[in-house]
Amino acid sequence: MKLKCSPVVLVCRISLACALFALVTFSGLFQKSVAAQSLAFVRIVHASPDVGTANVFLDGSKLLSNFQFGTVTDYATIPPGPHKVQIALIGKGIGAAVITQTLSVDPGIAYTVAALGTKSTGFSLDVFTDNNQISNGTAKVRVYHLSPGTGTVNVSNGNSTLISGLGYPGASNYLSLQTGSYSFQVTTTQSSATLPTVPVTLKANTVTSIFAVGVVNGTPQIEFVTAQVSGLPGMPLTGSDPNPNAAPGESQALSPWIWLFVVLALIGIGGAVVVTRRLALSHRQVIV
Amino acid sequence: MQNMRAVRLTLYFFALALTLILGGCDQSLASQTTLPHAISPTPSPKSTSTPVLKLKGRANPVRLLIPAIHVNASIETVGITSNGDLAVPTQNPWEHVGWYASGPYPGERGSAVFDGHLDRPGGYPAVFWYLRDLHVGDEVRVIYANGKTLQFHVTDLAFYSPQDAPIQEIFGNEAGTYLNLITCAGDWIASQHQTTLRLVVYTTLD
Repeated sequence: MKLKCSPVVLVCRISLACALFALVTFSGLFQKSVAAQSLAFVRIVHASPDVGTANVFLDGSKLLSNFQFGTVTDYATIPPGPHKVQIALIGKGIGAAVITQTLSVDPGIAYTVAALGTKSTGFSLDVFTDNNQISNGTAKVRVYHLSPGTGTVNVSNGNSTLISGLGYPGASNYLSLQTGSYSFQVTTTQSSATLPTVPVTLKANTVTSIFAVGVVNGTPQIEFVTAQVSGLPGMPLTGSDPNPNAAPGESQALSPWIWLFVVLALIGIGGAVVVTRRLALSHRQVIV
Repeated sequence: MQNMRAVRLTLYFFALALTLILGGCDQSLASQTTLPHAISPTPSPKSTSTPVLKLKGRANPVRLLIPAIHVNASIETVGITSNGDLAVPTQNPWEHVGWYASGPYPGERGSAVFDGHLDRPGGYPAVFWYLRDLHVGDEVRVIYANGKTLQFHVTDLAFYSPQDAPIQEIFGNEAGTYLNLITCAGDWIASQHQTTLRLVVYTTLD
């Protein structure tokens, strides 16, 4: 069997292949941040006193059945982007929805969507962006004021005011509290109505939401619904110093070396290409 | 004469390419071999939150098995560091995995999370060194203190920078029964004492 090219050309081609392989090997080291399409997280609280038990539809499909006043769902995952949300009383079709609203949600974000309003004010969905990240060993608390006609409220733990002037509809800032049992007292700023206390046990690394729903003078009467979720920590430090005895900054010297290798690989590829072409040309001239 | 020069040049390029290959292999594979080393104390921030032992009628997970990458590791409970990050195992930082005990149990609805070190000081492999070699469909088994075993399978692998990681999705996805495994990836940043990326392996209960 006769070789179609000279051994020199063959070696040159092999070296080209080797250099390309080296380049590919190095490119594998540069891991890109592959942020897969993240979902959005949505929970819904039924806080509309004048809407009975209902079904909830998302983009025309039923998301929740028998959704009762004063309940809050877990977080459900939905694709990011705009979504048509409709709420219709049970027994009535989506065509008789009392609330139809388009909400837009972002990837990786958690939301609380509150079904609000009365017959006189009209019904709507209000969206609150949640932050369930937690600090070490503490507990976070947030109050959602979803009680129409109550005016602004203050929240205290008996000793001191924790939240003041929270209006309807609104959500407080997150309070970072020590773990333990609390009895929160909610008072209205515009009336002397006595509201029920809110007993809550705050566990470490949790986020507790307190929803004020209902009406002060009427039905359904005002009540406080609580929901507690696990707090979200930041990403762990699971790597180690590859050069622990180096002086500060010395271990970073790896990156320039990698780049040097890449440059040398490119030179190798370029050189091998040039030599291969020249040899092929001279070989052709010899044949002619 | 010209031909000899070409041969010399070719050999130079061949040597260069060979050097690069060996260098490349050295960079990417050097620490994949298990070498003797001195174990130094964990460099991670101290965990000030006391891990919670959950033994109220439910057995804690005690062992993690990932046959595809030969992981057979004890499980410690971990909490949150003073920086707000998920803590890492402290009893045996390099061989154990940590279970975020404030989250759900693996096997409960929600996202249970295990973390484990990628490497030890000096770059030597730790428990989750080969996590990046997992593929969708690979089995992950959790053994509980009562002897029960649950099996999960890999559904996705993703690399994130720590700041951009979808924390809610990793720790707070309640749409199913998940077990997510986290370790480091990317390059070491000495000034930040951490790597550039995190690898998250998403698994779901079979």
